Amino acid sequence: MNLLEYLRLAAEGLWMNKLRSFLTILGIIIGIAAVITVVAVGQGGRAVLMAEMEKIGTNLFVIYIDWQEEEPPKERDFTLQDIAVIKELVPEITHLAPTSYQPATVKGPKKKKPAQVIGTAADYASVAKTRVTRGSFLAAGQEGARAVAVLDETLAQEIFGNVDPLGKRVVINDRPALVIGLTKEESGFFGLQTVKNVYVPLGFWQEIFEERAIAQLEGCTVKREDVPQAMAQAVKILERRHQVKDRYKGISLEQQMQVAGKITGIITLIIGAVAGISLLVGGIGVMNIMLVSVTERTREIGVRMALGARRRDILSQFLIEAVVLCLAGGLIGILLGAGGAYLVARLAKWPPLISFGTVLIAFAFSAAVGIFFGLYPANRAARMNPVEALRQE
Amino acid sequence: MIRSGFTEARQRLATPLPPNNGLNISKGNQEMITVQHLTKVYQSGRLSFPALQGVSLTISRGEFVAVMGPSGSGKSTFLNILGCLDRPTSGTYYLDDQEVSSLGENELAAVRNRKIGFVFQTFNLLPRLNALRNVELPMIYAGVPPAGRRARARIALARVGLAERAHHRPPELSGGERQRVAIARALVNDPAVILADEPTGNLDSRAGAEVMAIFSELHRRGATIVLVTHEREIAEYAGHILFFRDGRLVGEEIPGNGGPKAEVGGR
Repeated sequence: MNLLEYLRLAAEGLWMNKLRSFLTILGIIIGIAAVITVVAVGQGGRAVLMAEMEKIGTNLFVIYIDWQEEEPPKERDFTLQDIAVIKELVPEITHLAPTSYQPATVKGPKKKKPAQVIGTAADYASVAKTRVTRGSFLAAGQEGARAVAVLDETLAQEIFGNVDPLGKRVVINDRPALVIGLTKEESGFFGLQTVKNVYVPLGFWQEIFEERAIAQLEGCTVKREDVPQAMAQAVKILERRHQVKDRYKGISLEQQMQVAGKITGIITLIIGAVAGISLLVGGIGVMNIMLVSVTERTREIGVRMALGARRRDILSQFLIEAVVLCLAGGLIGILLGAGGAYLVARLAKWPPLISFGTVLIAFAFSAAVGIFFGLYPANRAARMNPVEALRQE
Repeated sequence: MIRSGFTEARQRLATPLPPNNGLNISKGNQEMITVQHLTKVYQSGRLSFPALQGVSLTISRGEFVAVMGPSGSGKSTFLNILGCLDRPTSGTYYLDDQEVSSLGENELAAVRNRKIGFVFQTFNLLPRLNALRNVELPMIYAGVPPAGRRARARIALARVGLAERAHHRPPELSGGERQRVAIARALVNDPAVILADEPTGNLDSRAGAEVMAIFSELHRRGATIVLVTHEREIAEYAGHILFFRDGRLVGEEIPGNGGPKAEVGGR
């Protein structure tokens, strides 16, 4: 007896009992749909994350103070001389900027707005790929206390209104500064960035916030491959100059990407496990209904045996029925899952990624569930005694 | 087309059928069924029940035999063993010159498929399949390709006068029609023997007469038929009646040919 015949038989049988078949495979449908949605959304999110990171630049790194065990950053942890020495000794580092961050209120002629004030130097524009749309960024050698500021374009628009801000005065926490340039932010991760930046010379920043320390150094190399080695060298130079060990830490954007990748991987795994449990439960449901079906069709089994079906034929018939049932569940689950992924992706504004591999795995998994949970009922059917089976009402 | 499917089915047989064993060809007085010292004991826990206690008999090719007896006489057990649905506890069974009692599961399935056509009291059609597909079933297990199957099933249905009911499902057919579909199904693999277990038991007398007319016609054309019944009238369609009681063959009779014979044994 050929496969096509079994398939036709199974499909007809399942179609006869539409509602029962549907309820039976509901667990499979939900399980597969959950897997497809989670994986698609996860992969889509990851792809977007990676693209964003790539845009920001994978050749970036940050050197910071690891003060989990040690004392918090001190005034002289990083100095401008350190930066000069590092740039001198490590030619791979093309740009290196001191950065300190503090939130503040920024006041223009029209409005007051909260903003992130970044105390830094000229190199920062290259490191952060800040695009200057008008005027200029902080000039080299202006790390001192000159009261100038570069504003984010949209922030300037908000606090100045229609007045051209260039050359005008802006007040940062009661400190007046001259606007020398406007920048346009690259949209942050997933367009979620809402904080507007104001860039001021480091010295001026220290005056505004009465804070002498430099929080961290941000730098970049020409090539991505140079980052780990350049970073290590910079840390070594700092340790030597400050006579300390294990105080400076470096992290590259690439490392952060890997961490992000790991986290999404773990989340996918957890949800995958939950979906797996759902599939298990679904499989048990299929087994249950197949057992009922075998009992109900005892007479049919007897008749088929009397007409010449071998045990193998009966086994195949019921096994294929279970597999068809589960594959149908898998197919519906894949469609639903794709729909779900599309919906979630639309809300989250990133593209869903349903790979061929995922679909294939989902199909294979449904078939495996069918075989695993169909085998016992099918075997039970195949082992019936034809005389007794025929006697059954 | 039909012929090729036919040949193929035959070639798959464990032991090939003799070339001229079709229903339409009788081979005179050769033996089709020979059983010797057949016993069957049903074991249920510590209780054992002897359903057959040493039955020996021979049925010739082209013979139409009726088996009669009260319930519990072992006639159904006997038919199940003849149909290879059950195995004897001891004794030998030759069907069409093949020793059947020693065959394995799969070989028995093949024998049931090719050499035996069953007709049951309760018809045993599959209710989801239409008449045509019910008749196709034995050919599916014989490995006949679909086109050949369909054609042969139509011919078989036509032989029992149901050509125009081919696409009706069993629930849409009358009892008599259902049994005729079942007979078509029993015929379609061109079996050596047709085994009928109370084929008229669930039919009114008119439908029963129709069904028996078909059996008579099949017999006239040379089919070997063994029919179990408890109705005398039905048994008289056969050329030869065997009487069972308490698991034993206790008498036989040629209807219209004097009273029952007292002595029984290997003929």
